[in-house]
Amino acid sequence: MVQLTPNHPYVTLRVKFKKVGSLQYISHLDLVRTMHKIIVRAKLPVWYTAGYNPKPKMIFAAPLSIGTESVCEFMDIRLIDDISPELAKARLNENMTDEMQVLDAYYTEGKLTELRWLEYDFIICTDNASDSLADECERALLSDSVTVEKKTKPGEPTVTTNIAPMIKSARATYRDGLIHINAVLSADPSSFLNPEYIIRALRDSVGILKNPRLTEESYSIMRCGAYREDMTDFR
Amino acid sequence: MSEIKNLSSVLKSVSKPGRYIGGEYNRIIKSKDEVKCRFAFCFPDTYEIGMSNLGVRILYDVLNSDKDVWCERVYAPWEDMKKKMEEYDISLTAVESGDPLTEFDMLGFSLQYELCYTTALQMLRLAGIPIWARDRSEDTPIIIGGGPCVYNSEPIAEFFDLINVGEGEEVLLEICHLYNSMKENGSYTREAFLRAASHIEGVYIPSLYEVSYNEDGTIREYKPLYEDVPAKIKKRVIADLDKAPYPTKLVMPYVETVHDRIVLEVYRGCIRGCRFCQAGMVYRPIREKSPETLCNTAKCLFENTGYDEISLISLSISDYSELRELTDKLLSWTDEAHVSLSLPSLRIDSFSEELMNKISSVRTGGLTFAPEAGTQRLRDVINKNVTEDDLMHAVDIAFRGGKSSVKLYFMNGLPTETMEDIEGIADLAKKVVGAYFKLPKGERPRGISVTVSVSCFVPKPFTPFQWEAQDSLESLVEKQKHLRGCITDRKIKYNYHEAKVSRIEAVLARGDRRLAPAIALAVEEGFMFDAWDEYFDYDKWIDVLDRAGVDPDFYTTRGFGLDEVLPWDIIDCGVTKQFLLRERSKAYEAKTTPSCAEHCSGCGANKLGGKNRWCN
Repeated sequence: MVQLTPNHPYVTLRVKFKKVGSLQYISHLDLVRTMHKIIVRAKLPVWYTAGYNPKPKMIFAAPLSIGTESVCEFMDIRLIDDISPELAKARLNENMTDEMQVLDAYYTEGKLTELRWLEYDFIICTDNASDSLADECERALLSDSVTVEKKTKPGEPTVTTNIAPMIKSARATYRDGLIHINAVLSADPSSFLNPEYIIRALRDSVGILKNPRLTEESYSIMRCGAYREDMTDFR
Repeated sequence: MSEIKNLSSVLKSVSKPGRYIGGEYNRIIKSKDEVKCRFAFCFPDTYEIGMSNLGVRILYDVLNSDKDVWCERVYAPWEDMKKKMEEYDISLTAVESGDPLTEFDMLGFSLQYELCYTTALQMLRLAGIPIWARDRSEDTPIIIGGGPCVYNSEPIAEFFDLINVGEGEEVLLEICHLYNSMKENGSYTREAFLRAASHIEGVYIPSLYEVSYNEDGTIREYKPLYEDVPAKIKKRVIADLDKAPYPTKLVMPYVETVHDRIVLEVYRGCIRGCRFCQAGMVYRPIREKSPETLCNTAKCLFENTGYDEISLISLSISDYSELRELTDKLLSWTDEAHVSLSLPSLRIDSFSEELMNKISSVRTGGLTFAPEAGTQRLRDVINKNVTEDDLMHAVDIAFRGGKSSVKLYFMNGLPTETMEDIEGIADLAKKVVGAYFKLPKGERPRGISVTVSVSCFVPKPFTPFQWEAQDSLESLVEKQKHLRGCITDRKIKYNYHEAKVSRIEAVLARGDRRLAPAIALAVEEGFMFDAWDEYFDYDKWIDVLDRAGVDPDFYTTRGFGLDEVLPWDIIDCGVTKQFLLRERSKAYEAKTTPSCAEHCSGCGANKLGGKNRWCN
């Protein structure tokens, strides 16, 4: 490896990957540390940051919060050499476990900030699940006022926020005893909506997931699509 | 935990759920139908701490190298998770398979510090396994204990079926092989297995001994129940450390752990012989690895982990006879690979500019030194063999090299200590600050901080101070107060360990089998994570000791008679009692003993064999 100057030329490899199953419990910070080691193990010709503590340069789009799975995560890695994307993908996958795998890798000059909307699938196992509860959920999410209590900082009082403008679309159905919701939510950095707030809003408004016994009810959230401002696929 | 319905809601409700999920890269998965022995390596503390433990990393690798054995890992759930497990009847499970511990053949507990005992026993409870060995049935897993604490395992002996004394690389496999062959030829019963295991060197079966006591409460004798059971258990050592197995892959945690880096064990043992230090005695004889082996291992580990830091560990890294060769060899590729080296156990008298530059090539920060005592007299008593000049020289190099923070470790309550020695700690710290200001402004970093960190001395088994009385709580607290008063410079930060914790630690470290009912009571009352300040409760400990009829003074402030049978006399750790007694009397004369590199002082550990550099 050669010692690089901060302005050494580089190319940007965009990596689309999944983070599913038990890896939903891994925080974004831990994901970054893990990815750093994966990239080193995969022997990619990475571009290191300058300074006392050089690190591979990686940028992630829209960090996932704990408890959400995803099949469309995006990360840009700077490389000093343009190896074939297929090779990069194969080497990365060898160094990851089944629950985290690269789905696609390609060179890009685009910006991660073009990502504006994220699509999520919610599956809710709640005591009172029914067709009419699904309808209620859909109506609640599509109304002009969807309020949640948000805590901006620990220790400070909560504020009530209307998240309706951050919900682009929402559809709820009842199937096999479960409520399924598909929703497109804002990923704009200035008005990013954590999908947990959808669960919270429905808990307050239509009364899902009210059983105090934790093992009786559950829900899962899967990030499944990413779009630009005009709702074309982000890639 | 996999078979529990809707565990996801439980995981979403606890702190740091990532520590419970497993699924790590490099973890070992085998088919449970294709192995003969399922071994669960249990660490009685959190995942973040347990994952960093070198012993577990080595033994996980060793056990899994055998195709008939599958070793998995188990960690203690944090309190919020423990409560949920109790509320929802979720059993403690192994990380790899998610199977409950009752499905295993053996559970091996790594006992690294006395205050983890309650956590280990809570883990058994959470797994639905009786804590007393005598209450277990034929199909309960065999419960094994090992690690540094078992040099006196007596307080917990009756909770374990089998104790592994010494290094586990060979003996654990021998135990598994014995188990497998007895199961196969049909001769297995719990009793027959334990009896046969007692013949393996380094294995102690507590249930095969009877202990009797004198009227004054001291121990009369340990008596094996059968003729074929050894009267003393000889510690097991690895003869050729350079050829011993060492992992080339590490299980990669997703969450951050306390020592999240490559750890390279350079040698075992210590040539120094500080008289308070148990590790320096019980890990003898000194056995080194070669720079070639170490460098090859390091490279493999780097490629298989992607870590950016390699920590060279041993009891005193600068005593490694080929340190320069090793660091040069490593630095020939680590810099380019953006990997930094760290040397956590530097001695004051060996600190050089060259060494500092090697380790600070990537990171800045502070340095830690351990003078241990404040005056030369007391440092001679404990055989630390460093002088004030050594310290001044070391901090001068550190400040010139741009290090602005220095941490100094000391102990309170050492034998023969007076207030003058306590004042010496403050003086030494002041002189370190003085050394900084002596340097011209251009040659020193901006801002200085000196941290004085003082722990309370616990007289440990198998040290020359094993007979000493521990300083009383009142005296320790008074010394701490006095030192606080002596430190007036605001550039000096003063930290001290809670004396109450050290007192309980001493009881557990020096106790005998009569302590077990108190520990069982503690477990029943829900004690766990006693090594964590937020969970340690001195008054509750005193209460359970009192209710079990144990007088803590008997094991602490009383001191042990020189001719008394000690609880740990059942163990032969290599160094002889005669050597420890010689060292003890030299301590009282404030006479030092040279290191093994200068002169053999006849400690006796060389009788255990092993390829080593210094012993005859």
